[in-house]
This record gives sequence, C-alpha cells and structure tokens, in this order.
Amino acid sequence: MEKYEKLEKIGEGTYGKVYKAKDKTTGTMVALKKTRLEMDEEGIPPTALREVSLLQLLSQSLYVVRLLTVEHVDASSDFSSTTSNKENIHSNTTTGSNNNNNNTKNKSNLYLVFEYLDTDLKKFIDSHRKGPNPGPLSPSLIQSFLFQLCKGVAHCHSHGVLHRDLKPQNLLLDKDKGILKIADLGLGRSFTVPLKSYTHEIVTLWYRAPEVLLGSTHYSTAVDIWSVGCIFAEMVRRQALFPGDSEFQQLLHIFRLLGTPTEQHWPGVTSLRDWHVYPQWEPQLLARAVPSLGPDGVDLLSKMLKYDPAERISAKAALDHPYFDTLDKSQY
Amino acid sequence: MDFDLENPLTSSIEIQSDSITGLFDSESDYMPSRSFLQCLEASAFYHSFRQDAISTLFHARSSRNYDHFVLYLAINYMDRFISRQEIPQEKPWVPQLLVIACLSLAAKMKNKHFLISDFQKEEGFIFDAQTISRMELVILDALNWRMRSITPFSFMSFFISLFEIKDPPLTQILKDRAAEIVFVANNEMKLLEFKPSIIVASALLVASHELFPLQFPSFKCSIFSYEHVNKDKLLQCFNAVQEMVGLEWYQDITSSSISPLSVLDRHCRKSKSETTNTTTFSSAELPQERAIKRRRIDGYN
Ligand SMILES: Nc1ncnc2c1ncn2[C@@H]1O[C@H](COP(=O)(O)OP(=O)(O)O)[C@@H](O)[C@H]1O
Ligand SMILES: [Mg+2]
Repeated sequence: MEKYEKLEKIGEGTYGKVYKAKDKTTGTMVALKKTRLEMDEEGIPPTALREVSLLQLLSQSLYVVRLLTVEHVDASSDFSSTTSNKENIHSNTTTGSNNNNNNTKNKSNLYLVFEYLDTDLKKFIDSHRKGPNPGPLSPSLIQSFLFQLCKGVAHCHSHGVLHRDLKPQNLLLDKDKGILKIADLGLGRSFTVPLKSYTHEIVTLWYRAPEVLLGSTHYSTAVDIWSVGCIFAEMVRRQALFPGDSEFQQLLHIFRLLGTPTEQHWPGVTSLRDWHVYPQWEPQLLARAVPSLGPDGVDLLSKMLKYDPAERISAKAALDHPYFDTLDKSQY
Repeated sequence: MDFDLENPLTSSIEIQSDSITGLFDSESDYMPSRSFLQCLEASAFYHSFRQDAISTLFHARSSRNYDHFVLYLAINYMDRFISRQEIPQEKPWVPQLLVIACLSLAAKMKNKHFLISDFQKEEGFIFDAQTISRMELVILDALNWRMRSITPFSFMSFFISLFEIKDPPLTQILKDRAAEIVFVANNEMKLLEFKPSIIVASALLVASHELFPLQFPSFKCSIFSYEHVNKDKLLQCFNAVQEMVGLEWYQDITSSSISPLSVLDRHCRKSKSETTNTTTFSSAELPQERAIKRRRIDGYN
C-alpha cells in the first residue's frame, strides 16, 4: 500500500471506509475501499474470492466503476516469519506492509483500488438543489444518465448479478465527460442488504422495491429496476420520490402515489410474508409527481414502477424505449 | 448474486449481445502469456513442470472425483501464474505447493469442498494450512484476483445457440463431446496459443462433425460467419484439434485413470508410427492453410 498516498476520506458507507488517494508512481487519483478479510483455517474465504473476482469481471464494462487492482494487506505482525518460504517465490511482488496493529493472526484487509470519479449522483443532485446556483438537471442530461444506468444494470443482469442497493450515492459521475458508472457492487451482499451499516447509520429504504419491503424471499432483477425508476424520478424532481423512514412508512409512501396494490394488479401480493391490511389509496397520476418530464419519460417511469415484478420492464428493454429515441445512442 | 462460472451469461433469457461481445473482448486477459508459451517450448524444466502438475491434478481427479471444470480452472490459474512469476528451479516443492493452492482456489470458486489434508495424504505433500493460504494469496496477488477466468466453457452455450439445434438431448451430447475435446486440448502444447473462444468453436465443430456429419456444413457456416471469430485462427485451430482427435488417444484420459503422462507417452509413440486419419477441411478462400496443415501431418509421418 506504500504505492498510494491517502488524501482524504470520501465515503463511509455500509462496509468500510473509502479514501481518495494518489498513485505515487503515476500520479493518478484512485479510490481505495478497505474491507476486512477474515481468514480461517481454510485460507481465503470462498465468498470473498467469488465476490472480488466477480467485481473484476463486471468492472470491465464502461458503465461499472473500474476496479484497477486488489491489494491484500496482512494485519498480523508475525507474517514475515511464518512465510519466509513463500517470500522466495515471489520476491518481486509486494504483499504489503504491516501497517495495522491488529494482533489477531488471521485478520487482514483487502484494499480494492478503483478508478476515481469526481462525484456521485447524490452530491450532484444536491448541488442542483441547494448549490450556489440551483436549478433543474437538463432533460438531455437526465436522459443520458438514465441510459448509462440502464446499460450498466443490463450488463450486471446479463451476468446473473443483482446489485440490490442502487441509489444515487452508489452512482459515480465524471461531470465533465457526462459519464455515469455503477459503484458499490456486490461485496458482502450474498444474502441480504443489512438494515444498519457498520457505523449504525440507517441504510436507506427509499429505493427498495415493494416486494423486498413486503418480505418476498425470491426476488429478481426487477428489484434493481424499481430502484432505477426511483432514481429516474429523483433526477427529475431533485428530491426523493419515496422518502420513507421505516419499512412501514416506505410502503405507505409508495401506496399513496401508486395506489394500494391489489391481487388483481399484483397476483400473490396479499400472501407475501409482511403483508398487512393497509389504507386503500387510489393510484394518483404519476405525471404529477414528475411535472417536468414528457409523456415518453412518464411512460418509461411507469413501466419501471410496476407493482408486479414480472411486469416491470427489464433493463435491456428499457434501452429500446421511445424515451431514448432522441438520444444519440452511437456515442455509448 | 450468484454466477455460473461455466456459463457466465444467463442464457435463460436471450443471449445478450453486449455481454457476449465483452467476453470476446476480454478473453485474452485470462490466457497465459505469449512468453509463457515460448518458455514451455524452449525450456524442458517448464515443460515437465506443467506435465507433472497436470498429472498430479488428474490423479487427484480420479481418486477424489473432482469435476473436470475445477481442474481446468486450476490449470488455467497455474499457467497464468507461471506467466507472471518465475518458478525457482532448485525448489522441487514449489510445483507441489502451486498445484495444491491452485486446486484449492479453483474448488472454492466452484464452491466445492476441498479437503486439503486428504489430498496431501494421497499425493504425499506436507504443507501446513498457513503455507497453503499464503500461497493462495501469492497467486491471487499475481493474478490480481481475476479468478473468474473466461474459459472455452464460457462460450459453449453461445456457440451452440448459433447452431439452432431443436433437440435438447442432442445438444447435450454435442456439449459433452466438445467439453471432452476441450479438456484434452489443454494438454496439447500447440493448442495453448489459441483463445478460449477459438478452442471451443473448434471443439464443437470437430464434435459435430463426428456426431452429426449432415449438419456439419451449416454449423461450420454459422460459426465461421460470426463476427467475433477470427477465421484464420479458427481454421488453424480446427485443423490442429482435428488432428489431435484423429490420434484417438484422448479416450484414455477421459475414461480411465491412466495418468496424462503415460497417455502423452503413448501419444508420442503413436503419432510417430501411425498415419493420422483427419477429415479434410477445405476452404476455398484459404488454400495456404491447407498447405500448412498438410505439412504438419507430413511432419508426423
Ligand atoms: N471510485 C470512486 N470515486 C469517487 N468516489 C467514490 C468512489 N467510490 C466510492 N466513492 C464515494 O464513497 C462513497 C461510498 O462508497 P461505496 O463504494 O458506495 O461504499 P459503501 O459500501 O461504503 O457504500 C460513495 O457514495 C462515493 O461518494
Ligand atoms: Mg455505497
């Protein structure tokens, strides 16, 4: 890790800290994401192995933040004595320094070294709401960001991977080039998205699909599309579409706009694990929630926010929606 | 969140063109380097290092019933590792440690439980768990954690979909035979230079030629007209695979516990004494290829 000079902490999310750093040899900026790697008697845990290498594969897409390298840093101080044999074989690789005082022998850290992007979509939307000169995002920018987002999501889905935590904070932007990339893919997500982060900060529910909120156990790629819909609306509104602060409130936000779901619109909904009896709301006009969005955009949004996951549009199909007809797709 | 290593694209839906293009774009990143191939040819040490390692792995397979794919992956890791890392010739335990760590990593990738202690006992290795995990890390470091290798198997379903076979059992037979050929091709030094997609395309063509000779011309046509396939390379590779299969030594390796070493010995003896019976693969556009092939066959006689 001596190769990098840590500059500042840029994020502190669900799984660890993220630092901005400079590669000392090339001078390029990188983002370092630190995660703990718990070694056991069987060596590298299979989950870590599978997930990091999956990230390596997915990050070859233009629409996924690029993982440049992975650095393993042993936290144990007796590392060098137990592995002298090994040091001979790979005398030209660095295994990192013992810069951590953790005295448990089997604890070590992985640093994922990503390309650095200047901002994320949350900060970008915030700057358009409260910055020195606030104002809406231009319709063509929204269209371009949404297209890139759908591309990235389609890429993940085509590899059988769900993101499960798409939200503006996890979408990184290169403002000058107008590029959007998906970040924060897949580490430690093999089972569920935790409710609380390790810092006990509440993980946002705003982008969570109704089937997840209702305790459905078999969810699919449609959960990501729901999040994409929420993000789309948020770019237009410059504020969240469904800002709930508990799972129950989150559902009520959704139901108030889209109407309380019924068996007719969403077969099986009333038998989901966490289904209760809710107030009966009628669906509102979606266009009213996104007043500046044209009819094609509203149509696409409504297809992303279908209650029945089976009816929700796929990322791939979204790319062919008429909303993108005015976009010059050749540049993507 | 899970992902099938042998079949990286979720083929239940339509095959997604962007993603398949991505596989073709990055397959070379998961291959051993050119210098590694030169080394194998030039250095007896590397050559026998690889042979020993492969025969250890095959031995492990027959006694522990590993799936083929885990072995394939382990060999891929080993080749890529050696491409990046010098192996000290004076330390005979290095190959053993490398093999065991590659096998352990490959098994973890496939979520197959792998009991290191059993394997060690059988193969007479004596590494402690910590040494093996350190070696795993050294390998991960050298390969930059890119362990989801793009292998010939990554392209299998895609190419088969080009064939438009209506009958699922036939597809399976074709797949199994092509997989067999791919495994054997991995032992054939001269086939190591070909990209995974080219290897599997050739294996499928050779397999389909054996199994459904009538459809072969149309399969050939669909693979050759696919944009991401380099036609010259495919033709070269197809001929080499055809030649290899013509020797018919491969069956031993896939059906019995004979070690690849003894099989390879036989292979050499056989190829010196017997005439190969390869199907002529004609291509009007590329007459020079045929000449090359003929020269090669002549060389064997
Ligand atoms: N490559 C990067 N370039 C710039 N900022 C980044 C990068 N990666 C992450 N960040 C910032 O750090 C925050 C947290 O990173 P993330 O990968 O989402 O981790 P977490 O799992 O902690 O949420 C992001 O919301 C973003 O603001
Ligand atoms: Mg995040």
